[in-house]
Amino acid sequence: MAFWKTLRRKGGGALPGDIDCEAVTARLYEYIDGELDDPQTVEKIRRHLDLCKLCFPHYDFEKAFLRYISEHGRTSAPPELKRRIFKAILEEESRD
Amino acid sequence: MGEDSARKQREFEREALAHLDTLYNVALRLTGSAPDAEDLVQDTVTKAYGAWDKYERGTNCRAWLVTILRNTFINQYRRKSKRPTPVEFETVQDVSVFEALQDRDPSGTFFRFIVDDEVKRAIQELPEEFRIPVVLSDVEGLSYAEIAEALELPVGTVKSRLFRGRRRLQQRLYEYALEMGYIG
Ligand SMILES: [Zn+2]
Repeated sequence: MAFWKTLRRKGGGALPGDIDCEAVTARLYEYIDGELDDPQTVEKIRRHLDLCKLCFPHYDFEKAFLRYISEHGRTSAPPELKRRIFKAILEEESRD
Repeated sequence: MGEDSARKQREFEREALAHLDTLYNVALRLTGSAPDAEDLVQDTVTKAYGAWDKYERGTNCRAWLVTILRNTFINQYRRKSKRPTPVEFETVQDVSVFEALQDRDPSGTFFRFIVDDEVKRAIQELPEEFRIPVVLSDVEGLSYAEIAEALELPVGTVKSRLFRGRRRLQQRLYEYALEMGYIG
């Protein structure tokens, strides 16, 4: 069972931000990525995260994960490859 | 050298070659080998330079280049590659490891102990359909729309592949951290 199902509030009590944990979890990445089109949804999630003891740490965790990937997943092109490519473009042109 | 070709060269360097690192990263994750990645980038740049007149000015150059790179890979490299395609495990659950961790390490401090090589290996082990969106988004910082353009996919597909790819990557790193004793 997906974990957020175990966290879903029962009984229709007041939901922080008028959005439930499941809906927040499903849109968490889009929220972090700044890819949600609807400003109202963004605002609802923001308010939910401010108040929800379950979702805020999850949000924090996902952000830590994404920051970690962006800082450690990259390999730069070898300088020798760059030199070779710039040289090839130069030679291509002088042939014209 | 004529004035036109000098201008073309300058423009190409400024607009296209600025993205060499991105191209190399994607090539590396597609081929899984540094020498193949170098060849693939060189082929891509040569093709892009030849087609530079067809590049629509003002559109997304990075996405245009990634499309060329990916098509070149599909047409030339994958065919000769002997590596088996990664097995798709149906049992992989696309759940956040946060669920398993929330009592022990809710802020994900264990990530700090995982070395770069291990992250890169974990990315490499993702099925290609998830791997490339993750690299483009989380390593290279492309937007969903840019990724959709580069991979010629609907934005909704990019979104769901990214979601599932990230969850799998997390799961893999979590398992590794458990093995290594980074999580108590
Ligand atoms: Zn919540």
